[in-house]
Amino acid sequence: MEQVLTYVGYIFVVIGAIFLFLGGLGIVRLPDIYCRLQAGTKASTLGAMSLILGVGFLQPQWMIKALIIIVFIALSNPLSSHALARGSYRHKIRPWTKEDIDAYAQYIKEQGENEAAEEDKQQEKQES
Amino acid sequence: MKKLIALIFVLYIGVEMFFVFYQIPFGMDRVQSKVGKFYLEHSPKDLKVANAVTSIVVNFRGFDTLGEVTVLFIATTALGSILFRSRKVHNRLNSKRTSVEASMIVQVAGRFLVPLIVLLGAYVFIHGHLTPGGGFQGGVIIATGVLFLLLAYRQFSVNHEPITWIESLAGATFAGLGLTGIFVGKTFLENFLGTGKLNDLLSGGIIPLIYIAVGFKVAAELTGILDTILSISVPVEETENQN
Repeated sequence: MEQVLTYVGYIFVVIGAIFLFLGGLGIVRLPDIYCRLQAGTKASTLGAMSLILGVGFLQPQWMIKALIIIVFIALSNPLSSHALARGSYRHKIRPWTKEDIDAYAQYIKEQGENEAAEEDKQQEKQES
Repeated sequence: MKKLIALIFVLYIGVEMFFVFYQIPFGMDRVQSKVGKFYLEHSPKDLKVANAVTSIVVNFRGFDTLGEVTVLFIATTALGSILFRSRKVHNRLNSKRTSVEASMIVQVAGRFLVPLIVLLGAYVFIHGHLTPGGGFQGGVIIATGVLFLLLAYRQFSVNHEPITWIESLAGATFAGLGLTGIFVGKTFLENFLGTGKLNDLLSGGIIPLIYIAVGFKVAAELTGILDTILSISVPVEETENQN
């Protein structure tokens, strides 16, 4: 049983190491910040989770701690990536695309119009 | 050409590092110096502190750490006094920190991530004598949680009066513990409490107490700095045009 756990643990560790390596490679090779965020977040989230799970299998008494860390990574890593991507878009960093598709710009525009309309309504209420 | 030079440089560093570390057998105890040996032997035996780094920082060189804390305090005060003027000016221009609010995802996640972050910070400085980390690290983690709140909610602002109180009380606790050593009849910052058992939470004498004080102090100072910096950073004219 312990032997099996050890092998499973090492397999997870190796998978995690591969994904972390690919994430690092992606950060060097990909063209702009949004693509790099994909590499830096997706790959490293899976890599770190798999690595920590593997450690949990290798040392069964750490399994609960490992699971807690995995949950924390699953919560925080995508969140930081989202915040970074949103921040860089708001700072006028254009995505690297062939075609001129920008759905988020349209969304922001519509939202801005909605907000402006609401503000107008409120002003009318106050005046009347 | 540039890449080639960089590659050669990295290779050179790698070769040099290899020859330096090649001679050290992996995983063996190579701490030959007398001082290092003394610390490693005496911190579990005499002080019952599992983390030798903590026992050095807080006990053997506690006076140094008191100096470090003072340096941190002076740096914070200087930064605050420099930024205070511009903060007043910008507050009139722009009461909100940024023109665009953080997205709902960040705000909702902040609600359950921030308590976890603060809990982790408290854990790190309470267990400073057992596990890696300590007062400085734990304080910084707590300040990160506050930074999260500051970034996520633009109405959130820190009240500076309790922060000043916490900071002063924590500093006074550190110095007071040191002075108590003199009153008890030993030297300044002498470890006068009982040391307890190795690997117990309540062990190590005054080391955990000092680290808890340091944790509070660092957290309060960094929170103050972050709030001051963030509240001056964005005047309203510059951001409105961007969207």
